[in-house]
Amino acid sequence: MKLTIDSGLCSGHGRCYSIAPDVYEPDDEGFADHRDVAREVLPGHEASAREGAQSCPEGAIEISED
Amino acid sequence: MFNDFDFEDPEFNERFEDVLNEMAAKCPVAHSKTGHGYKVINTYKDVKKAAQDWRTFSSAKGYMVNRPDGSPVILPEESDPPYHDKWRKALNPFFSPTAVAEFEDQIRTIANELIDKFADKGRCNFVSDFSAHLPGMVFFRCLMGVPESDLPELFEGIDKGTFGPIEERPQYFMKVNDYLAAYLEQRTKEEPRGDVVDVVNAGVDREDGTPAPWEDKVAIVLDLVFGGLATTTHAMTAAVNYLAQHDDVRKELHDNPDLVPQAVEEFVRLFAPVVAPARYVTQDTTLGDLELRAGDWIALNYAAVSRDPELVENPAVLDIHRKGTVHSAFGIGPHRCLGSHLARLELKVTLEEFLRRIPDFHLTEGTSAKTETSQLRTTTSLELTFGTATKG
Repeated sequence: MKLTIDSGLCSGHGRCYSIAPDVYEPDDEGFADHRDVAREVLPGHEASAREGAQSCPEGAIEISED
Repeated sequence: MFNDFDFEDPEFNERFEDVLNEMAAKCPVAHSKTGHGYKVINTYKDVKKAAQDWRTFSSAKGYMVNRPDGSPVILPEESDPPYHDKWRKALNPFFSPTAVAEFEDQIRTIANELIDKFADKGRCNFVSDFSAHLPGMVFFRCLMGVPESDLPELFEGIDKGTFGPIEERPQYFMKVNDYLAAYLEQRTKEEPRGDVVDVVNAGVDREDGTPAPWEDKVAIVLDLVFGGLATTTHAMTAAVNYLAQHDDVRKELHDNPDLVPQAVEEFVRLFAPVVAPARYVTQDTTLGDLELRAGDWIALNYAAVSRDPELVENPAVLDIHRKGTVHSAFGIGPHRCLGSHLARLELKVTLEEFLRRIPDFHLTEGTSAKTETSQLRTTTSLELTFGTATKG
């Protein structure tokens, strides 16, 4: 499973890293860090990654199942 | 009502939740003939599209659908990228969750200072005794570093500019404006403190490379004050109003404070202080089935979107056990509420401390919360009596 955070859409709501801190983390501005790069979700954290993505009001997080 | 809608209609204030539920469930677009007319957009799908598309739906002509002449500009709220984003980039670090977490102990101290004054009295007016003060005290102490001795006069100005008789509000608004301008100027002569005031004074460049003018810097601080204080006052008051009338939820939050953060999300989802800010249409376009022309005005009904059945199951039900519910209480798109993380923290600490100190309270008999609603919603009075209500 991979996830990508679109920096054109992320507005720093902070829902993703509040709900799934094991997958997402904030940068200095409170936006989700590591934007615009597809990154692998570590095994066992798939549900958490999905919850974080679904909580984003902007729909900025795309999850792709391998 | 939805073919001739008016934010100022007293019915909207009185039947606020019912009207929003109806809009969210049955009315994607409400039409208004008030002033130059506007459309109210009520669905998540369309509001999200418009809020994210700042080129077509501009904030630069103001957040009010019919802007009264002489209203002072507030920034960055009433501007578009790239200028908007430059200011946000400078301001965001001071309002990030990590930055505001530093204030938690101070917020707790302030909450208890306020509660100390009425805890033994058996009753309070939650607005005038608590919620009208806490957000301002936090903001001016923690973020702005304003001298403590200036606070009473400043608060009077903010209080009367927000809640006073409508015809007197502009003069108090200007008093606050003048105070903040003088404070900014004073700080330019002092040693830098590395705080948000220094960043505002340092300014950003406009699109043409020239530095932001002085009046824009004042408009930034004005936005922080009038965008951040009364909204938070309303959110915490509406939450406490709900808890005063729902003994079971109040008891559950008192017994299990770990539920408070997700309860806060529910309170802001359903009791929106920012109802529906305006956007100005810059070019002919469509939004869902709605045809719009350049020059039209729309309002993004964030309060209704948080009740959109497409987004939330049983949207009208307040359920503190929900997790990760999507809502638009803090807006969508680049103009997302700058103070959202600070507001959440203030709400969390307020509910924790109030419930810890006063586990049982109810509405004072014969009273109910007094609210005012237009594109923003405020509560001006909430009378509480402590202890459980005697069922007569």
